[in-house]
Amino acid sequence: MEPVLSVQNITKHYPGFALENVSFSLGPKRIMGLIGKNGAGKSTTLKSILNMVSPENGSVTMFRKDFYQHEKECKQHIGIVFGGIDFYPLKKLSTISAVTRRFYENWDQAQYQRYVKLFALDERKKYKELSNGMKVKYLLALALSHHAELLILDEPTSGLDPVSRDELLHVFCQIVNSENCSILFSTHITSDLDRCADDITYIQNGRVLQSAEKGKFLRSFEHLKTPEDSGPLTLEEIMLRTERSKWDDITTL
Amino acid sequence: MTSLLYKEIKLVAHPTSIVFAFLGCLVLVPSYPYSVIFMFGCLAPYITFLNAREINDAWYTALLPVTKCESVLGKCLLVVFFQLFQLLFSVPFALLRNFLNIANNPVGLDATVAWYGFGFIVYAVFDFIFLTTFYKSGYKVGKSFIFAAIFMVFLMILVETTAHIPALVWMDSCQTENLLMQLPILVVGIICYGMLIPLAYQISARYYEKVDL
Repeated sequence: MEPVLSVQNITKHYPGFALENVSFSLGPKRIMGLIGKNGAGKSTTLKSILNMVSPENGSVTMFRKDFYQHEKECKQHIGIVFGGIDFYPLKKLSTISAVTRRFYENWDQAQYQRYVKLFALDERKKYKELSNGMKVKYLLALALSHHAELLILDEPTSGLDPVSRDELLHVFCQIVNSENCSILFSTHITSDLDRCADDITYIQNGRVLQSAEKGKFLRSFEHLKTPEDSGPLTLEEIMLRTERSKWDDITTL
Repeated sequence: MTSLLYKEIKLVAHPTSIVFAFLGCLVLVPSYPYSVIFMFGCLAPYITFLNAREINDAWYTALLPVTKCESVLGKCLLVVFFQLFQLLFSVPFALLRNFLNIANNPVGLDATVAWYGFGFIVYAVFDFIFLTTFYKSGYKVGKSFIFAAIFMVFLMILVETTAHIPALVWMDSCQTENLLMQLPILVVGIICYGMLIPLAYQISARYYEKVDL
């Protein structure tokens, strides 16, 4: 099947950090988890995909179009949520929504109202009055009200309590099942992905260590298993052991 | 384009900036350096750009189906909206001043046709420097304002001085023949504004394309 998103060889250099040839693809109606420790390059990857930072090299194909050439057109079909960033804190949700809907050709007001009701959002509230979980839900409601076919979520569950996280993950699974939608979801909370991800891309120090379907991904790290491990490794164990082995290399120097 | 301006007015424009846009009415004050009104017209974008930075407007705009160039266009439209609204809003008050036969302003230049022409020039120069400096970084509002304000203050002093130079007193007169003589200054001001603002937009957009959010 044709991928909805294909990232090829994205490269971006900063002083002291570089994204090097980041490549991966996301198929339709799938959830991909982008994992890596803090500072590994997850957010920079997402920002490069969205042209928020200008990559020095590489291409992004979205819905079979070059994203950088057809940015406006592609953005009509995607929803983006950046966790932890407060937009227009003193504005009411109704005001933000009224402005946002003017930008989308496919805005569906009935769908928006359905999500407002489903997520128990009070449109009379100011953005800053929402809890972190409600902020993510509000941004999701905006993203889903123009029938986004791809959601790009940067750390949407960071800073949320386990109940809110569980609720959001349930929503993500429902969205993929009920809407024609794929999700690219960056997180360092790997337990979130054990539940809902179909594919995993692991970024370490700005490079893709592995990008594959979850089963294949887990099998590719079997060399990290110890004799004490009876079952397959979890994503958290894979991340911990990978990063720890790097620390072991450093301490032996 | 209307959606961009609507977004800027509804979500970004700082309330103080909107108050400043109404300060064109100050031309009714009997003794006042009216070029200060232009300063308010320059402070309005400064305060709004500060506000935009604090409320993460650049981020939110980046999530919408607009390009970085259009993000810059939205801000330019807002600045032009503030300044044109302020100058237009002042016109009835300038006419009322004449109608009420209020004595000539002893401080500096009256709200004559020449004053409006100078207003366009002050705004054109300020906006060009402010916008092109700001969009090099996308966040250094204070530095951009100080840099642009140096030129703004210099031009304001020039505007106020014209009223005190005997050879140029016709610029301070509201007599019909003098107002007609002042028309070329207004035309030059409008041409200056009409050329520098689009140029400022193009240069700013080119800079902002390279800015990493």
